[in-house]
Amino acid sequence: MANYTTPLRDMRFVYNELLDAEAIRALPGCEEVTPDLVDAILEEAGRFCEERLFPLNRSGDEEGCHFEDGRVTTPAGLKEAYRDFNEMGWGALAADPEYGGQGLPNVISMMVEEIMCSTNFAFGLYPGLTHGAYNALVARASEELKQAYLPNMVSGQWSGSMCLTEPQCGTDLGLIRTRAEPQADGSYRLTGSKMFITAGEHDLSENIIHLVLARTPDAPKGIKGISLFLVPKIAVNDDGSLGEPNGVSCGSIEHKMGINASATCVINFDQARGFLVGRLNKGMEAMFIMMNTERLAVGIQGLGIGEASYQGAVAYARERLQGRALGGAKSPDKPADSLLVHPDVRRMLLTQRAYVEGNRALAAWVASELDHSKRNPDPRRRQEAEDFVALMTPIVKAFMTDTGSEVANLGVQVFGGHGYIREHGMEQYIRDARIAQIYEGTNGIQAMDLVGRKMPAHMGRYLRRFFHPVRDYLESKENDFTLHAFLLPLAKAFGRLQKATAHLAQRGLKNPDEMGASATDYLRLFALVALGYLWMRMADIGQQKREQDPIFYQAKVDTARFYFEKILPQSSALFASIMAGSRSMMKFNDEAF
Amino acid sequence: MEIRKVAVIGAGVMGAGIAAHVSNAGIPVVLLDIVPEAAGNRNAIAEGAVQKMLKAQPAPFMHKRNARLVTTGNIEDNLDLLADCDWIIEAVIEKLDIKQALYEKIDAVRKPGSVVSSNTSTIPLRDLVDGMPQAFAADFIITHFFNPPRYMRLLEVTTGDRTRPEAASVIADFCDRSLGKGVVHCKDTPGFIANRIGIFWIQVAILEAMQLGLSVEEADAVMGKPLGIPKTGVFGLSDLVGIDLMPHLMESMQRTLPKEDPFLEKSTIPELVSRMIAEGYTGRKGKGGFYRINRTEGRKVKESIDLVTGEYSPSGKASLESLDASRLGGLPALVMHPDRGGQYARRVLAQVLGYAASLVPEIADDIVAVDQAMKLGYAWKFGPFELIDKLGAENFVQLLEEQGIKVPGLLEKAAGQSFYRTQEGRLQYLDIQGRYQDVLRPEGVLLLSDIKRSTEPLAQNGSAALWDIGDGVVCLEYTSKMNAMDPDILALMREAVDIVKRGYKALVLHNEGENYSVGANLGLLLFAANIGTWDQIEEMVEAGQESYRALKYAPFPVVGAPSGMALGGGCETLLHCDAIQAHAETYIGLVEVGVGLVPGWGGCKEMLQRWISNKRRPGGPMPAVIKCFETISTATVAKSAAEAKDSLFFRADDGISMNRDRLLADAKARALALAEDYQPPEPIEISLPGPTAKAAMKMAVDGVRLAGKATRHDVVVSMRLAELLSGGDTDITEMLSEEDLLRLEREAFMDLVRNPDTLDRMEHMLETGKPLRN
Repeated sequence: MANYTTPLRDMRFVYNELLDAEAIRALPGCEEVTPDLVDAILEEAGRFCEERLFPLNRSGDEEGCHFEDGRVTTPAGLKEAYRDFNEMGWGALAADPEYGGQGLPNVISMMVEEIMCSTNFAFGLYPGLTHGAYNALVARASEELKQAYLPNMVSGQWSGSMCLTEPQCGTDLGLIRTRAEPQADGSYRLTGSKMFITAGEHDLSENIIHLVLARTPDAPKGIKGISLFLVPKIAVNDDGSLGEPNGVSCGSIEHKMGINASATCVINFDQARGFLVGRLNKGMEAMFIMMNTERLAVGIQGLGIGEASYQGAVAYARERLQGRALGGAKSPDKPADSLLVHPDVRRMLLTQRAYVEGNRALAAWVASELDHSKRNPDPRRRQEAEDFVALMTPIVKAFMTDTGSEVANLGVQVFGGHGYIREHGMEQYIRDARIAQIYEGTNGIQAMDLVGRKMPAHMGRYLRRFFHPVRDYLESKENDFTLHAFLLPLAKAFGRLQKATAHLAQRGLKNPDEMGASATDYLRLFALVALGYLWMRMADIGQQKREQDPIFYQAKVDTARFYFEKILPQSSALFASIMAGSRSMMKFNDEAF
Repeated sequence: MEIRKVAVIGAGVMGAGIAAHVSNAGIPVVLLDIVPEAAGNRNAIAEGAVQKMLKAQPAPFMHKRNARLVTTGNIEDNLDLLADCDWIIEAVIEKLDIKQALYEKIDAVRKPGSVVSSNTSTIPLRDLVDGMPQAFAADFIITHFFNPPRYMRLLEVTTGDRTRPEAASVIADFCDRSLGKGVVHCKDTPGFIANRIGIFWIQVAILEAMQLGLSVEEADAVMGKPLGIPKTGVFGLSDLVGIDLMPHLMESMQRTLPKEDPFLEKSTIPELVSRMIAEGYTGRKGKGGFYRINRTEGRKVKESIDLVTGEYSPSGKASLESLDASRLGGLPALVMHPDRGGQYARRVLAQVLGYAASLVPEIADDIVAVDQAMKLGYAWKFGPFELIDKLGAENFVQLLEEQGIKVPGLLEKAAGQSFYRTQEGRLQYLDIQGRYQDVLRPEGVLLLSDIKRSTEPLAQNGSAALWDIGDGVVCLEYTSKMNAMDPDILALMREAVDIVKRGYKALVLHNEGENYSVGANLGLLLFAANIGTWDQIEEMVEAGQESYRALKYAPFPVVGAPSGMALGGGCETLLHCDAIQAHAETYIGLVEVGVGLVPGWGGCKEMLQRWISNKRRPGGPMPAVIKCFETISTATVAKSAAEAKDSLFFRADDGISMNRDRLLADAKARALALAEDYQPPEPIEISLPGPTAKAAMKMAVDGVRLAGKATRHDVVVSMRLAELLSGGDTDITEMLSEEDLLRLEREAFMDLVRNPDTLDRMEHMLETGKPLRN
């Protein structure tokens, strides 16, 4: 059976020992975020998710959502779980206290999100979408809209959705057709059809607040003519009570590979009353504010699934007795040795572990910088943090979801045939994880965002926020012989990343295909170096604190060593591939495909 | 005849500017104006004009001391000053009777054979000499300068039936060689060449923008870059020259042009423009024009006028599909585009280029004169006939027919071919008989572009090329964007040393870009710094030091021949040359501190050496170090080649060429002269005062800081520079070698390039073009 225990020890390590927890506590509004409070929150969240969400994970997957007469019913148990989830305030962690939120830093709420994704990814999407819509509204909506909608969204009484995709446009949102006709009272009437709308219709909340991209009749063509609208499923009266249905209906739900407990809907708008969010024709900008947080959140989905899969695989490998160790039996008293004795199984488990723990550190680093970018009183520090988040967002999204899938795959492999059948829940992780590589901008798009936008921005200023800390760290450890096993390989990999970066920046100016062809490899190289940096720092801490908790810290050092010896060398192959350029793919005859 | 002394009568903007520019050529000049009413000082107008010019920016004088060459006076008391002048220029008010009365006075005192010219732009020559004696008419021509006379390269020269040919040729030659002008011979027709076409263009472009409903930003964006016209386009240009000028010009054109001239149909002043002038919106000199800067609420907001309502609103960036198309497909893509930008380009180009084509030979003997005039007088990158070639003569004929414009005969001759072609490496143009003729350069003019047409480079890479310019001289040309110095240029520089060593006599550093070089490729450096490739940056610094040093100690002479800006790393190449032959309009300086850096390619080393060995300033190294510090820490840029000698960017015996087209030939001659018995310079060995000098400079810096004139990072950069220039941890007894000085430069450079405040400065400079005061 799949099993899950919240990795509290590792989360505490990341938050208190790897990150600068004091610097986060020093941020305005975070004064009360003490280690004790963080512990308590994570423990409580872990308990709720383990007890209430995890048991619904497989049943929800088996049962799926139901669609009848335009109504969507979620699988058994979700409704109650959703109610309790909100009653306990889990949906309001990072929201502004002004709207009933708890105002906690993102770095905490993202750890809670990880727990949710590990225990019930599909469930997590419902509050997740609400949170995304919340972020866009906080950043761009008028005060009036905020007051009218945000408190109920924060409490979970109302949920949110994001309506972007239409049948003819996914990645290329410039092709959007949904129309918004201005009305005399300043509102708009929206008409059009949206698809792939996660949480677009369901029975968990009493109202659903859709954020819809649409164009007004005289809007400019393409992406510059898109505006963002708030469209409630049920009209909200001036006194805040619910009124009549608002011309929003669900046309059907999709039958999918995974996340079956999450309703993925076709949503039709028929003269639905909506309100402009932000400025006319600036919808993409407003959407991007939300998308950036969403992309980090999607990266965390990959992390959450990976953690769950790893835990399942470890438990199984420990218990399952098959074959004998190559060098002679380890448990001669038993009919066979455990799977753990086999080098290839250990390779798989350590690969999972190195990615999962590395990704957790990466996510926390980026999330804490997100907090600095929003709360730090020093404008320069804020700018630096904002640059860093902008740079790392595509990396977190793409790398953490790619490795999420890889880790889930390894989990099934460890189980062998028992992983392939449904009974143990391991194959569900693969199916669930797969979507995270696709939505919120496919991972190919993320790679293009990294090389095409983030890399050249301000002549490489975003890059500085990563390259300088790593360079400085390497320089600071030059004479620390205890770390040389990490220092040299990381310095080499970092050098490759520097070279590849300079190379792409120059080549890309002359031929954009060069950038496009290497983007995915480059993103992966970047991420491997980022994880390498974090693993070296974790090993550093592990070596220093080994005596305090030998098993935990030694495991940190040893996982780091595995990462450096077995995973980081991929940077060399990626570098070679990047330097080889685009010829082999772009010269290939189209007809021959 | 040689021009040894000149007089200018009329000390208005044009007259005074011409006088100043004559003095820039080192020629004494008399400047006279009328006696003002009720004035104590009878020379007040001319004297005031000189005083005003000493303060004006951009400066009419290339060096303040040139003002001493100007003798001021008035036309009542000082006409005798004209007696020994070889050339007398009249630049008084555009009134025929006043001019003619003056001519009579001039004629009474001038020496026989002296040339008299008028700077008129509106009165025909035949009217000016009407009734004047033959001897006067024989010596009379029109010399039409453009404003400001120092900077605008076009000079239109017109002769009359009675003018003796030598009168024109002497002046043309003088203006070409000594004043650096591009002389274009025009017929005696209204507006000559440049204004005849240029004003028609402005007028048509304004009217069509109004008719087609373009915003001023859109119109300027279409009229600007895609056509190779300065980005002020047409509305920005009108603001610059003064909108109130338009009615005067129109009135004069209406008065003098033949009745059937197409200009006249377009000469109505739009109602909006009249209203703007009436309300004082005459352009930059007035309350604003088509654009204005709104300074309310303590902020500066650039605003543009709405051509329909006359209301101002914040300026925006023009966004037209046709503009996007032109970025990839050039002018043809713009003209073919169906949107209003394309339509605008079509309508304006058809009328203006069609008009230009109809005016040859009415206003000039050939198309080359017309193209030259528009390029030099209006700063068009391409003349009208070159633009037609870009569109294709055949396509252009079709465009004219579409627009219902009569196809000029000359254009019919060009159908199926082009106005210019390259034949066996020679540039040729189509004459009015439809035959190709070589474009002839004046004697003593050597253009790199002509050499490039007829030969292959000796070596070439993405940023530079090496050319054999004849007689054993090689030219190193930069071809990078803005001629920024980058690793490719440095590599070719080293290759150049090898190539010249093997079979040539000398090397010249020269290019025909607008600027010689704006410095190192800052974008490349910033990117490298952002990704923390310190070792590669240091390698680049070293590579520059080595390449420049290789030039300096090469076994052959190297002559720098700059024009325009020579800043930072570009300046440093010149500091390593054996000699300089500079265009008079060279603006040189070590401006690295503006981006938070110090010169690292031997600039500090060379400047120290120059000031220490400067015989005119004795007193050991201390004053020399202070002088270098002042020059570099304030990013001093010399505003002319003459000024550059003051700060020792150029040596006293370095040459100056007034005419840019003659620069390469002059530099080549200089290089060949040096090549006789050439010996490379001795390596530098100097001693520097060390910490004591640094302390002295610190006091200066603290003073500036206290006065609120230095920012936080200014202090950091200045102090690092002070440490470098004082020789670091040295003292006066220690001899420092070239290597020592280069190491000091490198260390200071590397310290600063790691500083985030420096990176902020570089980014700001790249993104805004302005220094960041952090």
